[in-house]
Amino acid sequence: MDTNIGPSEMLMHLGPQHAIQPGPYLLDLRLKGELVVDAELKMGYIHKGIEKILENKTYLQGITITDRICYLAAMSNNEVFCGCVERLVGIEPPERSQYIRVIMEELSRIQSHLLGLGEFSTDLGFVTMFLYMIREREEILDLIDTVTGSRITQTYLRFGGVREDFPEGYEQKVMSVLNDLEKKLDQHEDLYNTDSIYRQRTVGVGTLTKEVATELGVAGPPLRATGVKFDVRKDDPYLVYDDLDFKVCTQKKGDIFARIKVRIDEIHESVYIIKQSFDQMPQGPLFPEGTPYGRRTPVMRVPPGEVFYRVEDPRGEMGMYMISDGSDTPYRVKIRGPVYPTMQALPPLILNTYVADVAAIAASMDGCTSEADR
Amino acid sequence: MIDANFILNSLTKTFPNDILEPSIESDKRISSYVNTDAIFDVCKHMLDNLECNHLSCECGVDYPDRNELEVVYHIASYEHPVVITLKVKLPRDDPVIESIVPVYWNANWYERETYELYGIMYKNHPDLKPLLLMDEMLGDWPLRKDYEGFPNKTSKNLV
Repeated sequence: MDTNIGPSEMLMHLGPQHAIQPGPYLLDLRLKGELVVDAELKMGYIHKGIEKILENKTYLQGITITDRICYLAAMSNNEVFCGCVERLVGIEPPERSQYIRVIMEELSRIQSHLLGLGEFSTDLGFVTMFLYMIREREEILDLIDTVTGSRITQTYLRFGGVREDFPEGYEQKVMSVLNDLEKKLDQHEDLYNTDSIYRQRTVGVGTLTKEVATELGVAGPPLRATGVKFDVRKDDPYLVYDDLDFKVCTQKKGDIFARIKVRIDEIHESVYIIKQSFDQMPQGPLFPEGTPYGRRTPVMRVPPGEVFYRVEDPRGEMGMYMISDGSDTPYRVKIRGPVYPTMQALPPLILNTYVADVAAIAASMDGCTSEADR
Repeated sequence: MIDANFILNSLTKTFPNDILEPSIESDKRISSYVNTDAIFDVCKHMLDNLECNHLSCECGVDYPDRNELEVVYHIASYEHPVVITLKVKLPRDDPVIESIVPVYWNANWYERETYELYGIMYKNHPDLKPLLLMDEMLGDWPLRKDYEGFPNKTSKNLV
């Protein structure tokens, strides 16, 4: 960014420590009056070197590390890592395990969206909504906790299956929580939609058009809010998503209001997916029969090869590129997180907006610095 | 209808000398090596004619045994499910390659990251500087296999 400031211009640092940010990043703004005329994003404050760490850990240890990529999407990070290894080894989880994975990943998506909505509301000064969302999210975390034993970093998936089966009576428990959630969510949506200040701050603000969004390489809810029907679950199906009936939630306008609407719709859609999965889920083993997976934890040697596997994270397209050289550790792991392109698209998006809207726009993209830095 | 076969045919027909060892792994995955000089034109062709309008990922890989670095591009699309993996081999002591930022805007950060982690130089990149690491680590190329790492370099920047 050009730091030579002209008349009636000023430079402003937003971050790296700021109350509105989900994690540390530095947003340098050049302002003319209250208008943003130039912006630059600086990253790397919590770079953990996860790609290098994974090269030095065995495959089984790697699952635990992938939890830490993003604290809100541990389940889909596990999925992308385990999926890569399964494709390299050439095993497929049995159907029951696949349905369990789908249910847990959708629960994980719901809690991620709930926190995303909550954080966004705080940044608008709508703190009541934050408390509501956190309250509903806690119920979902309890459901995840019942099966996995932890709230956030679950390390639940294993190569070829999942660690534990559902406990007795789990379906009823999930259904009662989800039915409750849907009712409450409708009330919250009404609260959003009928609030005139909320509408003024979100309708027509931070608009992404279809063309710009695809050019910037954005994926996930910000892209679907512009009307592009891109969802890895539909376009490049994995697990049993092919057998499930769900629609890709889209909006047309591409502004903040549309992004929030997409997230709320996706929660309803996830609930629908979970209901179907419980209905269709067969009984059976958790791991493929006749293989050592699940019975012991061997020092795994993965046959040489490479694979690129992608899944739909709560925030967009999550991919992993893994190269194996036949040893017990991966040769190279590249994590392609969904937040990375979203964060990259932020500076062009906030050009020519008012500085007061920057916080709202940044929060509506639902960024997670931890994942972008890795 | 654009599928894996169509894309591969189009690529091999347009660039008969630059697409090396192409292979179809499944109906949604293609993989191929590309000559270093041709990568920009190949990407441009894919964006303009094959609806491959989404750069999913770009990264480097180090092969010290062969004394080579590889740049790997994963190019996907919002329209069809095919993911094309393009790989370019570079000499390890002087890795220089043409930047594809003019074709895919979001390659910008991927290339900055690959530069600071592997030392791959991108020609015509608009703003080639470190993204994630501190400036003092530039030149260490930490994701190369011969990086000393912990504990040898731990206290270097603290003194």
